[in-house]
Amino acid sequence: MSIVEQSSVEAAGADARFVLDDALPLTGVIRSLGRSVIEVQQCTPRRAAVRIDPERTVEVASALLAMPYMRLATATAVEVRDGLDVLYHWAFEPPVPPDKAGGDGCVLTVKVLQQRGSSLESIANVVPAANWIEREMHEMLGVKFHNHPDLRRLLLDDSWPEGVHPLRKGFDQVLDRPPLPPNRTTDMAAPAPAPSPAMAPPSAPPASGKPRRSMVNIGPFHPLQEEAEFFQLYVEGETVVDVDVRLSFNHRGIEKLDESKTFDQVPFVVERVCGICSASHPLAYIQAVEEIAHVQVPERALYLRTIVNELERLHSHLLWVGLAGHFLGYNTVFMWAWKYREPVMDVLEAVTGSRCNYANCKIGGVRRDMSREQLEHIDSACAGLVGPMEMLTQAVLDDPVLHARLKKVGVLTPQAAKEFGALGPTARGSGLPIDVRRDDPYAAYDRVDWKVITASGGDVFSKAVVRLLESFEAVKIIRQCVKEIPGGPIDAKVEAIPPGEGVGHVEAPRGETFHYVRSDGTNRPVRHKVRAPSYNNIPTFKASCIGLQIPDVAITLASVDPCYSCTERMCVIRDAETRKPLYTFGELVRLSQLKTQHIREKG
Amino acid sequence: MTALGWAIVTLVLAGSGTLVLGLTLRWVDRKVTALVQWRVGPPWYQPFVDMLKLMGKENLVPSTARGTGFLIAPLVALASTLVVAAILWHACFRPQVGFVGDLIVVLYLLTMPALMTMLGASASGNPHAAVGASREMKLLLSYELPLLCAILVGLARAASLGGAAWTFRLGDLVQAQSTWPAVASASGVLALLVAIVCAQAKLGQVPFDLAEAECEIMSGVLVEYSGPSLAMFLLARAMLLALMPLLMILVFWGGLYTGAWWGILTFAGKYLLLVALVTLIRNTNPRLRIDQTMKLFWFVLTPAAVLALILALNGH
Repeated sequence: MSIVEQSSVEAAGADARFVLDDALPLTGVIRSLGRSVIEVQQCTPRRAAVRIDPERTVEVASALLAMPYMRLATATAVEVRDGLDVLYHWAFEPPVPPDKAGGDGCVLTVKVLQQRGSSLESIANVVPAANWIEREMHEMLGVKFHNHPDLRRLLLDDSWPEGVHPLRKGFDQVLDRPPLPPNRTTDMAAPAPAPSPAMAPPSAPPASGKPRRSMVNIGPFHPLQEEAEFFQLYVEGETVVDVDVRLSFNHRGIEKLDESKTFDQVPFVVERVCGICSASHPLAYIQAVEEIAHVQVPERALYLRTIVNELERLHSHLLWVGLAGHFLGYNTVFMWAWKYREPVMDVLEAVTGSRCNYANCKIGGVRRDMSREQLEHIDSACAGLVGPMEMLTQAVLDDPVLHARLKKVGVLTPQAAKEFGALGPTARGSGLPIDVRRDDPYAAYDRVDWKVITASGGDVFSKAVVRLLESFEAVKIIRQCVKEIPGGPIDAKVEAIPPGEGVGHVEAPRGETFHYVRSDGTNRPVRHKVRAPSYNNIPTFKASCIGLQIPDVAITLASVDPCYSCTERMCVIRDAETRKPLYTFGELVRLSQLKTQHIREKG
Repeated sequence: MTALGWAIVTLVLAGSGTLVLGLTLRWVDRKVTALVQWRVGPPWYQPFVDMLKLMGKENLVPSTARGTGFLIAPLVALASTLVVAAILWHACFRPQVGFVGDLIVVLYLLTMPALMTMLGASASGNPHAAVGASREMKLLLSYELPLLCAILVGLARAASLGGAAWTFRLGDLVQAQSTWPAVASASGVLALLVAIVCAQAKLGQVPFDLAEAECEIMSGVLVEYSGPSLAMFLLARAMLLALMPLLMILVFWGGLYTGAWWGILTFAGKYLLLVALVTLIRNTNPRLRIDQTMKLFWFVLTPAAVLALILALNGH
């Protein structure tokens, strides 16, 4: 990273102390923070970092949240010599003029040092979006916060010992791993684990005289969700009065794992963060590293990245439409949407070799080129999708019963969307026109013609409309890319990753996925922060679900398309009579290779 | 043979026949649904082996449940459905013999499965089942009134067509409609349409499956049931699927004419049409919320049924 401007803490205003370039979009923001700023780093025109006075976290956070087009993306904590550095990443996305292909979106990182023995004032009371991430930094790295509304555990298990912070450098993930709690289902004689003080009951008991409250659990395993999560709905009759979310039944410690992988290995790990956003996560990471190393990616690679990412959006949105139908008891829509999704999966398998983990993106470009025939295959598959997608869209937009079930249900106001840092279709359904593809263009998105879809209702219907119309835009983008893709190399040579820090964000189907990478000049990242869009979208339930009926909550929970970063689990299938294992790993690999071959021959 | 002997023979024949017919219709419903959704669907014997499997499973009673109510509910539901089956088929094949007011008995007994579902769900002590039971109760309150109004239309038409007094005997009702059924009139058509929607709710099918609503309350009323007690509820439902179209044909559509081959053929046609409608409606609609359901039944279907009744009383 090149530090352009840096100065000390002497004079009065930010202006007098730092040399700031008025042409850069973040200058006005930094200036308005005034005396709180200790240090300014303008890394690239779109990335800046300011170090602020640790006493003034709340003041700065409320000033930033009050600014238009500013939202808290996430935060990262990093171990440094003097303690822990807390980095609040704010995204600034001013409106894009209609004649421009890309906006002036920037990321401003606000750095606060938590010195040993001191604690920081939490900003979660003024910025709800910081609630979870502060809880996470508290348990994973031991950052001390005061005035946090709810400092319970978020990711770690209840049985995890107090004071052990797994993301600290001193924690060895093999040697320091605490013993597993006794298995309560098979060994009933085992003593019940003592409830951790960090897991206090989530909600205060209702005041006397109120109607009786009972709790309806959605989870940890529930037909509504395809993954393990746990929503506790506090209901009076059928009306939901409070929601508590418990997640991380499958926390896999990917951030810790990445610190032990080389820069080139990390993409393979992060594409396993999620089976659906498996193109977005590696791309965001790679863009962060490319920012550190100042890599110029060849044009053809940018187009290839765009094609795979839009195919991903297409299949993800179709998947959601199907699931939403299922949650409403409309199984015909479920089956039809998934049938039409299948050609997209096939085409992805044909061009990358896999339905889910594409492994096509690398630092400096892409790993694998696509031939003209493969591009034609993509084009014809997308063209064939338009008809069925129009039918599905019509079916949803014209069905009076669907209108009755989805309109004015689970409304997320634009203000709440901003405060919770909602992302993607969840934010765009509330009328916030934020889309990283447009605001901070990457890959080839500023080279093709497409629209950012928004809807103003904030209800489930708006989110459905946004997703359906976005699928058409995805088809449009893919077909343009196939037509206009330039020739040339697909890969730039990258020698080594210099010390520095970088931010990469990508518009995944569910919203912005945010990656922060810090390098110290070795061949591995020192710190890699991953924030998936659902991390910001799931807490919006606090704003959208209270006061609804249970059936409305079910579809509202589904409307943000929550993704709990699924994991593959090992299971062995045995023949009931012979006890011989069926479908071993080798056989599964062989079967999937056969299927890929079959699709390639067909397409 | 004595009257008691006849009653037992009818009960056994009609009961077992309806069981087989109901499970077969369940298969037809699943198979057609699967084909509509581009799936293969189950083989014809699937509903039967499902039931056999459930019969062999352990019957779990949750520790929070009131055991007696929990276990009696499915029994009563199944038993009352069996009696309905006996009365309805009896009216088909031997319309001359029957007792006065058998229609009223049928209507009473038809509410038993819903009442017993509520009873069993409340006895189970599960919060999901409690939500489901409350929905089932609201649902029952919603559809019973329009359904009764619609059936009165059938009676009124029969009275004006047969030129006789009002009859509550199914056999008389069928005979009065033997030349011109109730559906051959404006009021009859309207009443049949109302009855079809009410039957969908009685069968607990989409869009009125909110007492079970898998994705919200995990099968709601049935969540704690397992093994034979679950099988009994499911059998009662399968039989209801066979009986609701039959009831509608008896009340509105002239019953079964056994005198000639075409009589049986037209009966089969009407019957399959009504069953197909159930499948069609459930595959082309999402689930309604309970307040929307109640509004639909009280403010749309009840006035429609009352209008049909007024039309019928004026001879239309």
